[in-house]
Amino acid sequence: MKKLLTFASAIALTAGLAGAQEIGVVVKIGGIPWFNAMEEGIQKRAAELGVTAEMIGPVSADPALQVQAIEDLIAKGVDVIGVVPNDEAALEPVLKKAREAGIKVLSHEGPGLENVDWNFELASAQGFGEAHAKLLSDNIKGPGKYAVYVGSLTVPLHNAWADAAIAWLAANRSDLVIVGDRYGVAENVDDSRTTALDLMAANPDLKGFLAFGSQGPIGAGRAIEERGMGGQVFVAGPFSPGQGAKMVKDGVLTGGFMWNPSQAGEVFVSLGKMLVDGTEITAGTDIPGLGAVQPDAAAKDIITDNLLELNKDSVDGLAAMGL
Amino acid sequence: MTSFFEKGRAFFGRETFGLLLLMAAMVLAFSLASPKFLGLANLSSMGFQAPLLGLLTIAMLAPMISGGFNLAVIYTANLSGLTFAWVLLQFGGPEAGMGAILLGTVAALIVGATAGAVMGLVIAYVGAHPILVSLAMMIFLRGLGEFLTKGGDISGFPESIAVLGHGTLLGIPVPMILFGLVALVWHILLRRSRHGFAVYMVGSNIRAAEYSGLNTKRTLVAIYALSGLVCAIAGILMLSRFNSVRVGHGEALLLITVLAIFLGGIDPFGGHGKVAPVILSVLILQVLSSGLNLIGANQHLATAVWGLFLVAVMIVRSERFQESVQSFTVALHHMSKPAGGKS
Repeated sequence: MKKLLTFASAIALTAGLAGAQEIGVVVKIGGIPWFNAMEEGIQKRAAELGVTAEMIGPVSADPALQVQAIEDLIAKGVDVIGVVPNDEAALEPVLKKAREAGIKVLSHEGPGLENVDWNFELASAQGFGEAHAKLLSDNIKGPGKYAVYVGSLTVPLHNAWADAAIAWLAANRSDLVIVGDRYGVAENVDDSRTTALDLMAANPDLKGFLAFGSQGPIGAGRAIEERGMGGQVFVAGPFSPGQGAKMVKDGVLTGGFMWNPSQAGEVFVSLGKMLVDGTEITAGTDIPGLGAVQPDAAAKDIITDNLLELNKDSVDGLAAMGL
Repeated sequence: MTSFFEKGRAFFGRETFGLLLLMAAMVLAFSLASPKFLGLANLSSMGFQAPLLGLLTIAMLAPMISGGFNLAVIYTANLSGLTFAWVLLQFGGPEAGMGAILLGTVAALIVGATAGAVMGLVIAYVGAHPILVSLAMMIFLRGLGEFLTKGGDISGFPESIAVLGHGTLLGIPVPMILFGLVALVWHILLRRSRHGFAVYMVGSNIRAAEYSGLNTKRTLVAIYALSGLVCAIAGILMLSRFNSVRVGHGEALLLITVLAIFLGGIDPFGGHGKVAPVILSVLILQVLSSGLNLIGANQHLATAVWGLFLVAVMIVRSERFQESVQSFTVALHHMSKPAGGKS
């Protein structure tokens, strides 16, 4: 046994000296299309940069499993740990431990995390909301009314998008008037559809829907299809490309924006390697996949607007990725 | 060689010895696959990870030996953790002193034991099946916890709490020490105490136990109350590990506790089984999980391997398999004899 131990530690030493950079990314859950796409991005970029990278996708979205996976990565002695958190608070102690071990820590969609080197986002709440508002505005010619959906009135992100979009329309399209308040129906396709039917019946001059929440654009699009209003009433909002592809091509769903998980995967690797190599991230630093960034050093946030438009041309390709 | 196996078997007992061999084989395989496996970092990381599953498994153990089940282990732990967190917040969160920590610990233990005792009472006096009773309790506790927290996190605790989840004593992770102590107490309780004897009797034949004068109802209540108590300890550990509490933390571990228990040779119908092999199977599952992560295997593959593993263990344990091994060795013996005579 003693011999074996000596042997093992000898190998451990040589492996440590070889010093190939290693990056481990722990995501919310494995085996779903979103994170499969992220893994492709991670592997692609790792091959380009000549580093070793792996993605760990726990079998369920339980923060306890993310903590364990990160513990294992610390034990493995990787150079960079990336994480897409299920529950920010539960990860703080283990991420602190990782940083104390000299590991660089990156997060994506984890703006509240403290024990990280950087958190990066491919969409800002403001940019995301405004992009949808512009899309709607480009399609609606002349005055009219529009309605706003959110997933529920208590989803902070959806409401932040809605705030930005409404503010942009108020500033740039004074001829467009919002109908009622926000409708918290956009996580349910049937509620979205019936609400849209009711609104169109009650407001003959309704010209558009801004639908934040995965089922909102689909439900509103169906209502427009039923009424034969394609090309007269427009819908802008983020949705799953596979689910909405046909409706976009039929012209009843105008389009929307999303961010690309595969690109987020690439950024994990590019940014991780930059940190290990000692590159300072300051205003104007060019990070592949993010562009020239304006980091917020106090909040450790790098927020960019790298949006991907969902339209007739792009939707099939994205649907083929399983997104 | 044969005598080595026989001696080992006699010393450790059949279950434990088999698992020790399995563990040795796995440790060897992983350390060949990755030199970091036996490194200090990985051993310590496993030492921090295994205790949570270990404590929850211990909480599941006594109910299973008594022929029952406790599906509520995770949520009992969560709710006890919430109680602890609530007490800490009343005393100023991060500024809470030692007194508040002590009070919170006691409150958490009481909540855990009470949740368990209620289950025990219903099982003993209503006669409902433990699976149904604990399922009801699990749903109740989850709902209650989600109602109280609105599904969110509670965090912000004093620094000193972190020692329990992240500290080391003489190089040994504190959670491991906690787990070792609880396991030892559990072993003594089950193998050396009157209560332990009653647990096994209730598990093998509850009616016979009752006719021979055992107070089976009191035993059942005690089993579930103690199980709840260990859940509370697990809940406190979880709070310290994650520096936050939320209903649902650790829910992926529920079925793994059952896996660890069957792997440890506990009779699914109750009445038989020991603590030591169950502890060993918790460690084996940790070795498997960390080892597969270390060599970079897919998480879903790891789950599949765990399943295969359980099936393999059952096959190896089956009487038919044991018989065929025996006849095989006898046959080998016969074949080798004449050859030996000639030389």
